[in-house]
Amino acid sequence: MTSPSASSRKTLSKIATNRLQKELMEWQVNPPTGFKHKVTDNLQRWVIEVNGAPGTLYANETFQLQVDFPEHYPMEAPQVIFIPPAPLHPHIYSNGHICLDILYDSWSPAMTVSSVCISILSMLSSSSTKQRPNDDERYVKNCRNGRSPKETRWWFHDDKV
Amino acid sequence: MENQDEIPVEPETESSTFVSAYEADDWSNYKDSDVMLQQSAIWEEDAAKSPFVGDKEPLTSLEAEYKSGSPILLEKIKVLSQQYAAIRRTRGDGNCFFRSFMFSYLEHILESQDQAEVDRIKTNVEKCRKTLQGLGYADFTFEDFFSLFIEQLDSVLTGNEVPISHDELIVRSRDQSISDYVVMFFRFVTSGEIRKRSEFFEPFIFGLSNTTVEQFCKTSVEPMGEESDHVHITALSDALGVPIRVVYLDRSSCDTGGVSVNHHDFVPASDDNTPSASTGETNPFIVLLYRPGHYDILYRK
Repeated sequence: MTSPSASSRKTLSKIATNRLQKELMEWQVNPPTGFKHKVTDNLQRWVIEVNGAPGTLYANETFQLQVDFPEHYPMEAPQVIFIPPAPLHPHIYSNGHICLDILYDSWSPAMTVSSVCISILSMLSSSSTKQRPNDDERYVKNCRNGRSPKETRWWFHDDKV
Repeated sequence: MENQDEIPVEPETESSTFVSAYEADDWSNYKDSDVMLQQSAIWEEDAAKSPFVGDKEPLTSLEAEYKSGSPILLEKIKVLSQQYAAIRRTRGDGNCFFRSFMFSYLEHILESQDQAEVDRIKTNVEKCRKTLQGLGYADFTFEDFFSLFIEQLDSVLTGNEVPISHDELIVRSRDQSISDYVVMFFRFVTSGEIRKRSEFFEPFIFGLSNTTVEQFCKTSVEPMGEESDHVHITALSDALGVPIRVVYLDRSSCDTGGVSVNHHDFVPASDDNTPSASTGETNPFIVLLYRPGHYDILYRK
């Protein structure tokens, strides 16, 4: 496929590359509990296996997170989605998009892939019901043209789940 | 392919171009679509109008801004102009306090060539590094930001070599890859100071946002674009040991008739037993003009 989009995706800056190499090294020494980085030679896209925490609704289930890093990571947030099938959760859409503030407005360079993973697992673990967001069908339809979750205007109104 | 220049020749990045159909179809070709966040559209609009750090303008330009506006403000600007000669505006992107502080500080060092001050701040920067480590931050999260700030310090006070020109300082302050990193450095320093002295800051933070210190730092200090309040200013001033004067330009007036302009000096709490506040008047070399929601730089006559 030689679509123009393949080249419009900007490569990592030098600072981003350095930072990610350090994050990867740290991850290998000290991976967050319940996560496994699937080794590839692609520093700009990480695929991470997530195991539902024991004693929660997602115990014994395994999911895959896809983390894409922008040119100016960590000044810009990574794009984090579940590769479908995504967990059934009131804040996770069936196309894998996750409604979680730290992935968008509240992202900070002080965060890491590892801390983002921990936040996502904690979001899963505190869920008391396995269901899709109310607007799942509408949202997913809107994203059909390949819209990134980073281009969505999210409302983070429910912090109970 | 204009961004090819920046690619470091490491195997990791060579393989990072997308190849599979799924990836190509995925996110990349909708970058300029109409679904961008409205917020970022507003910022981009603002960005097109004003640089991160503007040119020095005479105070009369401030007057012109309120020409048909509040008479109280015009009176106050008159009072201001007795003491201050010029203003330098910063972009209203939520980082204006930190950006103003950055420029003002580096400009002061460039002009004063004050080696003692640089030595002093570097000692404090090292303390901030220790603070963050003590709080459990991984070094790689903050070290790039720290070294970028030290680099800027070393470029305005070089020892034997000629420092950068004033124009170059402006260019750097407008260069996102430098300016934003220095702003983020200050955010780390501020967050570290607040967390380290969480008992001191807790009541202020609770009054401000009804959240915990931890939550406040995570949502209102560390993300770029989050506006600064007196909590941020106090913490940054204390952590770096740099006094800051904030002059308030708002519609408030006193009933005694005369119009006066209020200011507040943030004087660092020193850890030795000689608090500078008690030894007499401080005269902070950093003076910021605060108008509700925004900070700019002021210059004394």
